[in-house]
Amino acid sequence: MAVIKTNDLTYTYPGATKPSIEKVSLTINKGDFVILTGPSGCGKTTLCRCFNGLVPHFYNGKLEGTLTVAGLDVAEHQIYELARHVGLVFQNPENQLFALSVEKDVAFGLENFAMPREEMRKRVEWALKMAGISELAERPPHELSGGQQQRVAIASVLAMQPDIMILDEPTSFLDPLGAEKIFEVINDLNKKLGITTILVEHRLDLAAKYANHVIVMDNGKVALTGSPREIFSSEEARLIGVGIPKATKLYQHLKKNGVELKSVPVTTEEAANLLREVLKNA
Amino acid sequence: MSVFEGFKFRKVSSVVHNLDPRVKFFFVLVLFVMAVLFTNFLALLVLFLVPLPFVFVAKVNRQWLRSLRGAALLAIFIFATNFIFGYFYPTSLSGITQPVDTLFEYVVLLERSVAMTLRFVVLISSFSVFFLTTSPDHLGLALQQSHVPYEFCFAFTTAVRFVPVLADEAQTIMDAQKARGLELERGNLFKRVRNYIPILIPLIVNAIRRSLELAESMESRAWGASKKRTNLYELKLKRADYVLVVISVLMLICAVYVWLFVPVPSLTTLLSL
Repeated sequence: MAVIKTNDLTYTYPGATKPSIEKVSLTINKGDFVILTGPSGCGKTTLCRCFNGLVPHFYNGKLEGTLTVAGLDVAEHQIYELARHVGLVFQNPENQLFALSVEKDVAFGLENFAMPREEMRKRVEWALKMAGISELAERPPHELSGGQQQRVAIASVLAMQPDIMILDEPTSFLDPLGAEKIFEVINDLNKKLGITTILVEHRLDLAAKYANHVIVMDNGKVALTGSPREIFSSEEARLIGVGIPKATKLYQHLKKNGVELKSVPVTTEEAANLLREVLKNA
Repeated sequence: MSVFEGFKFRKVSSVVHNLDPRVKFFFVLVLFVMAVLFTNFLALLVLFLVPLPFVFVAKVNRQWLRSLRGAALLAIFIFATNFIFGYFYPTSLSGITQPVDTLFEYVVLLERSVAMTLRFVVLISSFSVFFLTTSPDHLGLALQQSHVPYEFCFAFTTAVRFVPVLADEAQTIMDAQKARGLELERGNLFKRVRNYIPILIPLIVNAIRRSLELAESMESRAWGASKKRTNLYELKLKRADYVLVVISVLMLICAVYVWLFVPVPSLTTLLSL
């Protein structure tokens, strides 16, 4: 079932001469884990902003084509209406936390919905637990590490119980270990709660294994869309400069040199198993 | 900016910290009014002693001392101005006539100037006790429950939240500009102020960019979804709060009574009796 559907979506920022995204037609299904990738400035962030209504309501500008998110026409619904269905986590964890304690930050969206206090308490505790940061509840956000801050940001979006969670390069300010933890949290939410996840990411080595759908954008257009294995092994993805996982690269190298693995690996473990098989046969 | 040092909050919990900020503010306000009422040294000395138990119970004595030390320069200035003006225009003071020449007159003048300085110290001390023992979060909440529009309360708490962030950022920018050869401690005063322009501009530009991202994030989390938003925390008056209210009111009544009907002797007359 499609939860996000766009048709010929084109958007130009006010004052810009050239559209940032052009004729984007996409379908994202409920429960999908989507990786959205492509070179810097290709329109990934703009597309994310479309999904929760920041475009066109916050940025103005010209939006053409149709866009339905969770059954709502984005052009006709305010950002706060969409916020009940779509949560957006930004790149810089520091700039999306504005309260003086973690729990207060997580409660921010719920306060805006005018939720009664007791219910809000429960929700906040639940969200903190899901993000694995229950012990940080009363700490001030600026004292936390980048990884912890980003998990607070995820919890604060999660507390609103959205159907769709969009994460715009959530790990670019983090170290590899912090990044891996974030991916695990996201994957948990996707698999356990069935939240449709859209992850914008450059470094695919860590994230690729969780996804079941990859979208590659280039120059404001959707260049490729399909399953991870299909996309990563394609020649086009390499030419665009997608950060193809090393396991998949190894597969391509071997193939060029006459060694054919049975299927396309995405993770190191898969590659190892496939290699073992080939070596046994040889 | 050592004067502001005493106004920085550190997260601690004590009886004083847990008092309702509105009640604490009322208490400080009463002290403030009393300090303005009296010009007498002995009365002001008593006022100086009143908030001291709070300082020790809340264990903020070090920060409190630091904020007093920060105010020292200004206090000396106030003392000097009072002394010099009292010397040249003694008409406003009782018991002194121009020219000030006897030892007694000097002592009266001295007591008077000390009293004025003490008044300033009382104000600084009581306000710093308030700010040292009230978390900005509580303060924002108090504002909100006093029917200040939420936008203002939000702006206040967010400003407090971003002070350390901006301080860090200023340091980073300073380091970056120094690495490119900017010399901050060079030249006369005017030149030194101008040296800070390459620090200020990136700092302001970054702050604006940051605020845009903040706005985006707020919008994404349903800012403005309902007219009357709720709050995770709520301030409720507890027993200790009522006690403090009663103490404050009693203090105020006593002070007004003394001010109206009881002439408080000056230290000098008391000692010369």
